Amino acid sequence: MVEALQAMASVMFDPYLLLLIFMTTVLGVVIGVLPGLGATTGAALLLPFTLTMEPVHAIAVLATIYVSATFAGSITAILINTPGTAAAAATTFDGYPLAQRGEAGRALGIAVVSSTIGGVFSVIVLCVAAPMLARVAYEFRPPEYFALTLFGLSMLASISAGGTIRNLIGGVFGVWLATIGAEPTTGIERFMFGNYELYEGLGFVPVFIGLFAISELLIQSERINRIIETISMKAVLLPSREDYKKIWKTVLRSCGIGTFIGVLPAEGATVASMIGYSEAKRWSKNKEEFGKGAIEGIAGAEAANNAATGGAMVPTMVLGIPGSGTTAVILVGLMVHGLRPGPYLFTEQVTTVYQIFGAMLLANLMFLGMGLYAAKFFARISLVPLQILWPIVFALAIIGAYALSSSLLDVWIVLIFGVVGFFARRNGFAVAPIAVGLILGEMVETNFQNSLKMFEGEWWLILTQPLAALFLVFALLGLFGAPLTAWIGRMRK
Amino acid sequence: MHFLFVPGLITVFSLAVIWAALQLDLSPAMIVGDSLQPRVFPIFLMILNLGLVALLVFQYRKSPPKIVARETYHTWSTMALFVLFYPLTVYLDMFIGIAVVMFLMCLLWGERRILVAAAVALATPLTMFFLFDLVLRVRFPRGLLTNWYYG
Repeated sequence: MVEALQAMASVMFDPYLLLLIFMTTVLGVVIGVLPGLGATTGAALLLPFTLTMEPVHAIAVLATIYVSATFAGSITAILINTPGTAAAAATTFDGYPLAQRGEAGRALGIAVVSSTIGGVFSVIVLCVAAPMLARVAYEFRPPEYFALTLFGLSMLASISAGGTIRNLIGGVFGVWLATIGAEPTTGIERFMFGNYELYEGLGFVPVFIGLFAISELLIQSERINRIIETISMKAVLLPSREDYKKIWKTVLRSCGIGTFIGVLPAEGATVASMIGYSEAKRWSKNKEEFGKGAIEGIAGAEAANNAATGGAMVPTMVLGIPGSGTTAVILVGLMVHGLRPGPYLFTEQVTTVYQIFGAMLLANLMFLGMGLYAAKFFARISLVPLQILWPIVFALAIIGAYALSSSLLDVWIVLIFGVVGFFARRNGFAVAPIAVGLILGEMVETNFQNSLKMFEGEWWLILTQPLAALFLVFALLGLFGAPLTAWIGRMRK
Repeated sequence: MHFLFVPGLITVFSLAVIWAALQLDLSPAMIVGDSLQPRVFPIFLMILNLGLVALLVFQYRKSPPKIVARETYHTWSTMALFVLFYPLTVYLDMFIGIAVVMFLMCLLWGERRILVAAAVALATPLTMFFLFDLVLRVRFPRGLLTNWYYG
């Protein structure tokens, strides 16, 4: 415990790390306010730049991008009714109407403070819950990991974008992508079509850059002539005592909701903010104000989406199962820098882990300052012309993808998956399930194969393992819970 | 019937993968042991996908999805620029490819000031080249410019 606190505090005494966190917070806020460039795209594009950094610095950069971009999406959501990130979509419901009433500064102030409370709360939960979960995870063997990855995949069914079936199809496609390359046990080549650069499988980073950045570039190409109305603002106002009285319960509730949703594999800030918003409305005494500028609506959504960031880091670091699209990129970052995600990270790399947590805590506090004093300036950045911004993103994507393994094949993969991702999104399929499927694909297959070896081919013996059976029940609930509840509701009526 | 296009495409893809999986080599039983042949898992995945597609068709029949508007001229042209990027990179230089695509993309997306487009298209790849070359020590693929620079 003392070692953990020392490691977290050491972040404060590393000037290079402090500078990095500061610069990355600024960059994260810029990425967050630019419509289309969310935390996931930003982290994927930045990953190659972290190659030569120390592991702690590299992961701190990615984690800082995650928390600051998640917050920053609210700035444009409030001022131009365009969420900078999907997680800020619920903030537009009340943030923009409040801004239209001439209270943009107040709306932003509430968003900044709620986000900070949510973020700090979730990092504290992360510090406490992650080592506890790690202790449980030491006992996991292949059957438990197999069942857990299935649970993670089943949760794709309820990711907000897309629909249940479409998300599952995306997830299965992602898992299939993970089978490309040499099969780990037998070395048999699968779907390589003679291309030996694919022997170790598809690189995660080029696929992610393609799916998130290039597909977004193509989506933005359809919005070139859009006219954006901006609302001017004098300064960001801190919430008054009356405001605090009105929102403190909502903020606390959303902190809990956000962190819990974040911990669930594959769920993320977007789902958290939607649930945080709807719960704020459900418990509010002033339901009629919602949609017209209710400050509880802003606080509910913003506290929840930032609370989800720390929550999502729990399964990512402890189990190697991404808690969201952005943590999928962070997971790849951990692997690129030689940190093996899993319970052993908490015994072998305690200092590193807590320094990363410390960096996240610091990033949450830094964006409080930036949100209060520089939101007005950052809002202007969102008006950067698309015809300048997206060609730059193209260059970043290509050079970044090449740099990771000095392979031109990765560049072509970026472009191919960009086009695939674009058409998928146009037809209502979200790309996050493909990314999560790709990451979990190898885990699911390898652990199933190892379980079969353990039980001498008797697959059903997996069900006799209590924890594995529990995860499989969770997986079934993840898949059928929502339709079952709806069906029961219809039957009652 | 427009809603059958996407499920149809996924079905064809799944069947193609199953066919390709059936062409994979079989591993000797001694190596495979109690686990599965390498072809089994992808085939299982695609069968699962076919089941999900059947559910999707059922869902679409009940509530057909909105007809997706045609892609705009800008989108197709941007994709054409990606295609142009390939020969430029392979036969000339990756940085020439990036600069040309960036320049054309700026103009295509509505930038009227040619000098601004040219400045963005030159400054971005140049800055990134030196950042990656000098700081991150990345060697870029050989081409007209990199040959000249690397010697």
